Amino acid sequence: MQQIERYTSSARWFHWVHVVAFLWLALSGLLLFGSWFGFTPVGIWIRIIHRVGAVLLLGAPLLYAILHIRKSWSFIKEAFTWGKVDLEWVKAAPGYYFGNDKTKMPPQGYINTGMKLFRLCILLGMAIFIITGLILWFFKGTVPPEVIQYSLLLHDIAFILSICFLFIHIQLAVLHPKMDEGLLSIVDGKVSAEYAKSHHGLWYDETVKNGK
Amino acid sequence: MDISRGDFIKTLMGATGLMLLRKPAIKATSQSTSSVSEYAILVDVSKCVGCWWCFAACKNYNNLPEEIKPESESPPELSSKTWTTLSTVNINNRWVYRKHACMHCTDAACVKVCPAGALNYTEEGYVLYDRDKCIGCGYCAEFCPYEIPKLENNKITGIDTMSKCTFCKERIENGQQPACVEACPTGALKFGKRQELLEEAKERVKELSKKNRNACLYGEYEMGGLHVLYVLPDKPSVYSLPEMPISPASLIVQKDIFHPLAWISWGVIAAGLAVNLLVVRARQLKKKEGG
Repeated sequence: MQQIERYTSSARWFHWVHVVAFLWLALSGLLLFGSWFGFTPVGIWIRIIHRVGAVLLLGAPLLYAILHIRKSWSFIKEAFTWGKVDLEWVKAAPGYYFGNDKTKMPPQGYINTGMKLFRLCILLGMAIFIITGLILWFFKGTVPPEVIQYSLLLHDIAFILSICFLFIHIQLAVLHPKMDEGLLSIVDGKVSAEYAKSHHGLWYDETVKNGK
Repeated sequence: MDISRGDFIKTLMGATGLMLLRKPAIKATSQSTSSVSEYAILVDVSKCVGCWWCFAACKNYNNLPEEIKPESESPPELSSKTWTTLSTVNINNRWVYRKHACMHCTDAACVKVCPAGALNYTEEGYVLYDRDKCIGCGYCAEFCPYEIPKLENNKITGIDTMSKCTFCKERIENGQQPACVEACPTGALKFGKRQELLEEAKERVKELSKKNRNACLYGEYEMGGLHVLYVLPDKPSVYSLPEMPISPASLIVQKDIFHPLAWISWGVIAAGLAVNLLVVRARQLKKKEGG
């Protein structure tokens, strides 16, 4: 079966480094969130451990952005490019994801509306995590206490929401029967032509036109 | 009555929070402002002459580095090496002193925010801490409305531990008084049952209010009831005490609203996604059988 490249090897590396950093931070963050670290061998090292993850989470996208400026820029631009077709997608999505009804789904480009939404959430969430995280790390005692207090609140809210989106991401990338090539594509970078045609019709046409 | 929007929102959030919150055990004992087992220190500002003996005794008993007698113009601030000090104010060319240390609140913001469970209440009403549990995050220092907890910053490892007044718990258990109270030569400090000290403080305030109508008792209801009670000859702000100390609003929103909401939203989303999988699998199967 014909295979089409969907993710470059550096994009895949970036994805999985981000996964490790995110889970590292989420798990150590959950211990802080629930005040459970005292019962784990982690104990008072929890802050250091959390910060190791933070360096990875901030470092990986910076490195990727330096190495692939144009791709990074289009990653951001795509997330903010919205049109009428996105509204149609939103209307048709429940029927598709619950009822296998593909007839009303408008053909999608490289990423669909749901993925765009997810990208926006990642960009916003990362911004909140990084800004409030840096404040909590470096500015205690030097900024007014209210800044620390609300940074902590925002950091918690971003955490709560990002776990919600993590569940949805895993559902749609790994578990949902319609996305049967999702996980494999971010591992070996390729999807079948058939999958590309049915999930990302516009992108498939473009790719074929470009003779890839 | 004039209620600002901010206050209204805070009250609303607080009320919502209280409904969602499982009540901490301490709440039960703090319902009556002073249960029989609670102790306190009464600070009568009108009797303080600023001798700094409480300051010195605290350092002596707690093995904190000693200092020469401070000047009224530049009183030492609280630090990891100074757990009690005097807050000074010059009124009509006369220095007035207020002993300043941990208030041992009944509803303490530091206890609520501490992610390590290192800060806890005792039956006597003290707010104590366990240094071994402290991770040095410093949130207690950022959330305390009196800015009491201080951190000892180790620049190399980055690990700090907080410190503050311990109410000299060991001394009290040995039948002694807190070091500062024992050292006070003028009777400005008094240790005893909170209930009895409240009565006494009210008598003193009645007397003082003959001279100044603003004389007041501070600590009966502030932060759910303090375990350091102040007899003040004038209003609290004169002695740099906040008139209406409150736990930061963000703390109530975070711990009483968003934390319970977190588990609810994660549960609802996980359940919704599971239903989605079941539905879509069942329909797929049906389609195959049908086709």
